[in-house]
Amino acid sequence: MANQIENLPNTPPEGANWESDLKKVGFVRRLLRARHWYGADWWFVLISSIAVIGFIIVAIFPGLFAPYSPDALVGPRFLAPGEEAALSVLVVPSSASYSNLKELAAGEGSTRPRIGVVQGSSTAGDLNTQAQLIDQKLKEQGNGVRFRPVIARYASLDLALQAVADGTDSAAVVQSTEFVSVKAKFTTLREADSLTGETAGSFALGTNDIGQDLLSRLIWGTRIALIIGFTSAILSLFLGVPLGLLAGFLGGAFDRILSLVMDSLYAFPGLILAIAIAAVLGPSILNIIIAISVLYIPTYYRIVRGQTLSVKQEVYIEAAQSIGARRPEILGRYILPNVIPSVFIIFSVNIADAILTGAGLSFLGLGLPPTIADWGIDLARGQRFIQTAPWMITYPGIAIVLVVLSFTLMGEGLTEIFNPKLRDR
Amino acid sequence: MPPITLLALIIGIPSILLLAYVFIRGSTGLRRYILTRIVLTLPMVFILGTLVFFILRVLPGDPVSSALGPKGTPEMIASVRTQLGLNDPLIVQYGRFLWQMVTLKFGNSLVGGHRPIIAEMSERFPATLELIIPASVLALIIGIFGGTLAASKRKKVTDYIFRIYAVVIYSLPIFWLGLILQLFFGVKLGWLPISGRIDPIIGTTLVTHTNIYFIDSLITGNWPAFLSVLQHLVLPTITLGLIQSGLFVRITRANVIETMQMDYIAAARARGIREKVLIYGHALKNAMIPVITLIGLQVAILLAGAVLTESVFSWPGMGSYLVERISARDYNAVQSVITVFAMLVALISLAVDVIYSLVDPRVRY
Repeated sequence: MANQIENLPNTPPEGANWESDLKKVGFVRRLLRARHWYGADWWFVLISSIAVIGFIIVAIFPGLFAPYSPDALVGPRFLAPGEEAALSVLVVPSSASYSNLKELAAGEGSTRPRIGVVQGSSTAGDLNTQAQLIDQKLKEQGNGVRFRPVIARYASLDLALQAVADGTDSAAVVQSTEFVSVKAKFTTLREADSLTGETAGSFALGTNDIGQDLLSRLIWGTRIALIIGFTSAILSLFLGVPLGLLAGFLGGAFDRILSLVMDSLYAFPGLILAIAIAAVLGPSILNIIIAISVLYIPTYYRIVRGQTLSVKQEVYIEAAQSIGARRPEILGRYILPNVIPSVFIIFSVNIADAILTGAGLSFLGLGLPPTIADWGIDLARGQRFIQTAPWMITYPGIAIVLVVLSFTLMGEGLTEIFNPKLRDR
Repeated sequence: MPPITLLALIIGIPSILLLAYVFIRGSTGLRRYILTRIVLTLPMVFILGTLVFFILRVLPGDPVSSALGPKGTPEMIASVRTQLGLNDPLIVQYGRFLWQMVTLKFGNSLVGGHRPIIAEMSERFPATLELIIPASVLALIIGIFGGTLAASKRKKVTDYIFRIYAVVIYSLPIFWLGLILQLFFGVKLGWLPISGRIDPIIGTTLVTHTNIYFIDSLITGNWPAFLSVLQHLVLPTITLGLIQSGLFVRITRANVIETMQMDYIAAARARGIREKVLIYGHALKNAMIPVITLIGLQVAILLAGAVLTESVFSWPGMGSYLVERISARDYNAVQSVITVFAMLVALISLAVDVIYSLVDPRVRY
């Protein structure tokens, strides 16, 4: 293309110079003209775009992918990824007609059933809570049936199970994982339902300190990350681009003062400024978005201003002026389309940066209310349990890296397509 | 002698000597450039300070009522506001703020022992220096050697590894890198401590002069303390250094490649100079110039990274001080810390520009 432009004066164009110049304008045209879709870069763009689209789909429909709600307490605390959850299960004689607590209540009538537990085990507490719940429900129904079991405590698992086998107790409540190991000794017993009605399951990424499923939180966290990334990038784009266009086009004192402010803002450590803004505004999603978007206005401003300054010198702007185009028209029709490709590149990298900054803010406990399913918050929480539950910090971090990486790579690939001269940078 | 004065002397005397040398030996153009640059730093500090001031004042939210919490009666809030001068007209407050910036008298902390903020910062600031200086050195070493290596093996496996490294490092959240290093080297292997600057028991034996423990333990010859300080430094330094190294690798690589295509390199090659000498002796020297500019541009990333690194490693520096005081709603301290950061940014970019002008004689006003 460089050759073409150099040869222009020698080969007379079909129309006037400015006419062929005007044809160069346009974002889509430039994209299609980018014949340098060579080698690895083409793949970079393709793979990262697919990843980005995937993340966007997950962010729009997290409910489809997440097995649980992000706030639900679905399992035991600190369950490692893939590990079987130890449930409190009811162990009953093989011949028994009942297989859960409710049936036990109905069948026994006025005599209180004896249920065995192991002393010092968590099952006793589970049994107590469940028994009270069931009793409460029966009481509300009001037909005289109650569920107030006699809880017998045994020193060991074997003793508790022996009592059921002997017929002293109607059932025993034990941990499912423990029962598996002694199952062979008690052939007359069978494992009935779990107390809460849950089936024993494992969690792909484990659970956190209060028993929430980390996979679900991870998936729902995509939504927060992308909302923060996109909204703040769009906000700073809509403020930075017009300011940059105006400053570059108008020049003068307006340009000088604005540039001074923007340069200072650009030099200042973004995260620290965001910390200050977020601290003053208080934690909420809207505030974190405002704090981050302020940081990236100068990035757009500087690039757009620079491009406007160079485009302003082009012949076709002079041509447009001479055919009587008004200033807003020149800005909107002739300058803006030339600036858009670089804005597009910054936008992609900007989203990546905004997600990183947002995660940093919520990691410091400043950006978001602590109940929200967010990767930064999950990481901050995981840091406290780094000794006992390392999986809590592994996966949210990987999620951040993947999302940021795909947006960055998309920006990189686009840069190389639009500015082939920079391809070694 | 208070630690902060000593520290100022340690950093200040060499820089003044260097400046004096440059002024005596340098050309007129160089002298004019440095003077202009120093004069231009003042408006930058002024604008940054003004930005900090207005962001903290204009945004909604009352610092005093949130500092006092639900216990604060309207009378208490009013009296604290008067005491802080928050009831004065904005222009008076702004004037007072600028005066504080010039004199470095930031007033007292709103919480805890109500100590002067400058005294608290003089304990925290050396810790941040102790972290960011070795981290930057590490980043430069990785960046320059990695970038040159990648450029010399262009389009080969080494090159691709370093290019991928640069992009991946850029996408890593610094606090997560810190956590993973803690998990691996601190928890799993148990080789290195994961928080603090020095072992608390050994710390009691250390006599501090500068509050930079590395220097203190070295000059007092306290070897157990020195060892402990080194051990505590490893993980935070690697965290902050690695994150910064990505951009350095990238820029060094691009510049070495660009320089290698220049005519004088072709001429040198034609004279039969070996490729290694060409790259390390001829190309790297010229390629270093943009890298120095990058150090100045990286300051923002460095300081932001320092805040997060300090928080992960419970490193008692300026960053963790800022975060602590935000949680405590100590408005005075927050404003002062951010102002100091702004001055630091301006000073470092001044220093980088001066060094740049020494290295590259083309840079003159």
